[in-house]
Amino acid sequence: MSDAIITFKNVSKTYILYKNDQARFKALFIKPKNPKTNKALNNVSFEITRGESVGIVGDNGAGKSTLLKMITGVAFPDEGDIIVDGKVAALLELTAGFSLEMTGRENIYLKGYILGLEDEYIKEIEENIIDFAELGDYIDQPVRTYSSGMKMRLGFAINVNIEPDVLVVDEALAVGDASFKRKCKDKIKEIISSGTTVLYVSHSAESVREICPRSIYLRKGTVIFDGPTDETLQVYQDYKESVKKKIESAKKK
Amino acid sequence: MFTSIFQEHKGFGKQIFLLAKNELIKTYKGAVIGPLWSVVKPAFTIFVYWFAFSVGIKAAKAGFKVDIGASKAFSVDFFAWMFVGIVPWFFIQDSIIQGAKTLRTNRQFITKVKFPVSTILTYTGLSRLFVHVFLVLLMYAYMIFYRVTNGMAPFSWYDLQFFFYCPLLFLFFLALSWSTAPMSAFSKDFESLIVSIMSGVFWLSGIMYNSYNPDFPTGIKYFMLANPINFFANGYRNCFLYNRGFWVYKTELVIFLVEFAAVFLLGIYNYNRLRKKLPDVL
Repeated sequence: MSDAIITFKNVSKTYILYKNDQARFKALFIKPKNPKTNKALNNVSFEITRGESVGIVGDNGAGKSTLLKMITGVAFPDEGDIIVDGKVAALLELTAGFSLEMTGRENIYLKGYILGLEDEYIKEIEENIIDFAELGDYIDQPVRTYSSGMKMRLGFAINVNIEPDVLVVDEALAVGDASFKRKCKDKIKEIISSGTTVLYVSHSAESVREICPRSIYLRKGTVIFDGPTDETLQVYQDYKESVKKKIESAKKK
Repeated sequence: MFTSIFQEHKGFGKQIFLLAKNELIKTYKGAVIGPLWSVVKPAFTIFVYWFAFSVGIKAAKAGFKVDIGASKAFSVDFFAWMFVGIVPWFFIQDSIIQGAKTLRTNRQFITKVKFPVSTILTYTGLSRLFVHVFLVLLMYAYMIFYRVTNGMAPFSWYDLQFFFYCPLLFLFFLALSWSTAPMSAFSKDFESLIVSIMSGVFWLSGIMYNSYNPDFPTGIKYFMLANPINFFANGYRNCFLYNRGFWVYKTELVIFLVEFAAVFLLGIYNYNRLRKKLPDVL
């Protein structure tokens, strides 16, 4: 289908693990010979169509964060191609990129600029953001005076209000108090129903099932299964149990 | 590939100014005299050097003789001579040291959000340029005072050459940081190396003594000409003291321009080579 918004074509990413600082220094000038490496992603290919909600499941170190970093444009693949056709908002590092000495309002503009938005457009959504973040008069105070909850709220408000084409959500996200958390969840659901593509990362099977009809299961940098969420989760579950059994049988010996 | 730095800057001008302003505020906010600190440090340094040379060593009295080659010799006040040469040095020193550290200290823009990384070097450099221009204005005020008290005209057409040297100063050390910043981000040893050679570089440059000294043997003469810091220290003196056009000493100009081209190309090469690896190592 030509309506793909995110395309991964045989993407691989290898991290080089330098033995020590000298090795790092040397690597600046000479290519290291047989360095220790960690293959974070291995020949990953998939396509996500516009408006689809896709869950990404896998254990720690499966390559989930690397994958998301590549979609948001922070990290780059060693091999293969990534095409992201649209504006990406990531609910990953909400407070990243804030300038502490500038006011909340100035930071809205700054963040908007970073995301490639125009002044007029930011002006339009400014009030929505301020309303959503519930900062009151603090919006004209330097961000350095904010509590960590307030910073998170502002970051969240900016990211969800720019009408992204792709929204990347990490489930481990916890924003503010219970009532604000509910507001966030509702907002995410609203965004999904408005037809935005959502990538949802999680360890927990239940929340993925709730939100995404399709899921991708990663293990050690490889796509093990890509299909309907129920089937993906079944494969993931089976693998976890087989590992458990192995450990148990090893203990018995 | 070759133009990635330029692409990253395209359409980002407004943000660069906003961020440069923010950088200045960040540096001086919270201090009682605020931006005046940007003057106190250089003023004290200038006083110390003047004290050491004029009072301590007594090497430089009033009527300090400067020979700028081509049978032109000047008798100038040592303090004025040093002042004009050391003002670009403050910018150079900050640009080299801070420029190398910038990517490491702004790592959140590299590892957390998508950001045109090379513009970090531009806006931090720009905030240093603001401070530099402020210092130049103070120095210019002093030079007008110096000229008037010595019976000279307060202004000179040669002063306008500042608008040739200053942008070149900014661009040269920006292009240098395209190499040094990614390399320092990669290896802390590289950063330490730069920091530790900087105080030595000061004494290898013609800031406290005349790099045009005609008594220098040819080898040392070319060693001096190869140092781009001399080009700027002498350039500022061309503007404000020597009344000499930047095109007059062609050897110096050509050597500098060749070096500038080399630093520029090397900067693009190093930046492109290391840019995509930065998020992994920071």
